[in-house]
Amino acid sequence: MSQLEFTYQPPRALVQTLAALVGLGVLTWVAGLFVDPQRAWGVLLMVSFWLLSMGLAGSLFVGLQYACGAGWAVAFRRIPEAMTAAFPLGAAGLMMVFLFHPEIFPWVTHHGKAGSFHAIWLNRPFFLARAIGYFVIWFVFSAVLIRNSQRQDVDGDMRHTRRNIRASMAYMVVFSFTFALASIDWVMSLQPEWVSTIFGMYHMSGLFVSGVAMIILLMLWLKRSRPLCDFVNDEHLHDLGKLLFAFSTFWMYLYFSQYMLIWYSNMTEETVYFILRHEGVLKSMFLLNFILNWAVPFTILLPIPSKRSPRVIASMAVCVLAGRWLDLYMGIMPPITNGHVAAPWMEFGMMVGAMALFVLAFLAWFRRAPQTPVRDPLLAQSLSYHS
Amino acid sequence: MSQFQLMGIFDDEDGVKSAVRAAKEQGLRIVEVYTPYAIHGLERLLGLKRSRLSIVCLIAGALGAGLKLWFEIWASAIDWPINVGGKPWNSLPAFVPITFEVMVLFAGLFTVLALFMVTRLYPGKQAAIIHPQVTNDRFAVLIEESDASFDVDRVREMLKQHGAVEVTERLTAEVPA
Repeated sequence: MSQLEFTYQPPRALVQTLAALVGLGVLTWVAGLFVDPQRAWGVLLMVSFWLLSMGLAGSLFVGLQYACGAGWAVAFRRIPEAMTAAFPLGAAGLMMVFLFHPEIFPWVTHHGKAGSFHAIWLNRPFFLARAIGYFVIWFVFSAVLIRNSQRQDVDGDMRHTRRNIRASMAYMVVFSFTFALASIDWVMSLQPEWVSTIFGMYHMSGLFVSGVAMIILLMLWLKRSRPLCDFVNDEHLHDLGKLLFAFSTFWMYLYFSQYMLIWYSNMTEETVYFILRHEGVLKSMFLLNFILNWAVPFTILLPIPSKRSPRVIASMAVCVLAGRWLDLYMGIMPPITNGHVAAPWMEFGMMVGAMALFVLAFLAWFRRAPQTPVRDPLLAQSLSYHS
Repeated sequence: MSQFQLMGIFDDEDGVKSAVRAAKEQGLRIVEVYTPYAIHGLERLLGLKRSRLSIVCLIAGALGAGLKLWFEIWASAIDWPINVGGKPWNSLPAFVPITFEVMVLFAGLFTVLALFMVTRLYPGKQAAIIHPQVTNDRFAVLIEESDASFDVDRVREMLKQHGAVEVTERLTAEVPA
């Protein structure tokens, strides 16, 4: 793509291990299809949604930086750009679920009352058309942002930045509506009788906080393994730490807002969501969810030194990513398995496969362009940045 | 007794930074740097210690949250129990929003008050501006004679070298300890 010299070659052993793990994930899924097809399709929905969110978090982060005119993140912008590579993979996995096993959505077999809003909104043709619409919108915006950024490497033209700023502003608005609707379509409609208006926002905060955690891990890794060692420093880490801290709290804010209102009004049609997630093992997982996603990162990241320490912040990023998986599990799986928790070999196998697939896709894209946007007008500002 | 000070006026922040760096290397005593806006990284060049305001903020926030939580538990479970929707007297989720608000209120107010106390600011205080333009487009670096080896001409030369547009001498009453 780019004529500029860039010789990053990920270690062969790493790529082979990752490929093996992806294979393991696929095998787990195939085995799962024989053992418990309903659950296997549910887990496929979960891991695909995770991949999709990771990819979208990448383009959302890039768009956010352009829309705010922020310069600090330019030095490592190639990381979120390359993360978008996961988005088509997630979209493909979701389409497989929607086309080949739509029965995991209860409204496919039990229609709502004819003419009601439920029946109009939740019917298969419209559902599929919406899904394709979301994918196309996200794909176009992500592709435009990344293409302009990489073209700038070659000619250093300011027009690319200006175009990206305009595209990002539109993307921010379009994204919030489309992603809110998408999470309602794909996750909330697993329990179609239950509605929550904060659900889209809540999923968006989860998407962003896990995306920031992933950017932190990838940045630390690429800094240590050379490609980014001359470009990023503790100042960038500090600001990413602030974002992780802030969005972890934001996630908790929305999660609790949803919980408290339902708990307080105590109406049968609303509490059904939490009752399903309060039985047996799920109850401790429910508590663990907010410990991993908020309580631990909040307390640990409160002092400044921990936001500047690679070791502390990497472990908090891992904590938030684990919390994200748990949050997705709690959102998606209980309605599919009727709240029954079995030995989670299927979940873990496919999770590992999805994460390996993510890293493979990331590496494949990261190699396609110079490791930092060499001619971005804000690069100098990012390199000499003080948080 | 009064102190002898040299004030270098600069018109860009890079000059201020390099002058501060040079002054630190020569072991000169920098009393203060006045800038119209925050220069990032200057606090590290000056070797300033971290502000303790964040500790005030943390303690005040914890105090506010604790007091409010105690009050809510006392009011709704001990002093005047009221049955709301059949929920237990001590319903923690219901207390969270108010506890959060009071924590933010305490943390915010006490941090601002502590800032005013530390900087000795109060309503109606006369502004003490060292140079009329430091609130607009000039930066001032104030260096004090600390010992006998202080060479006025050399320091003046150093300030000029780093881009000072103007260097003035001033005498000041010694700040009471």
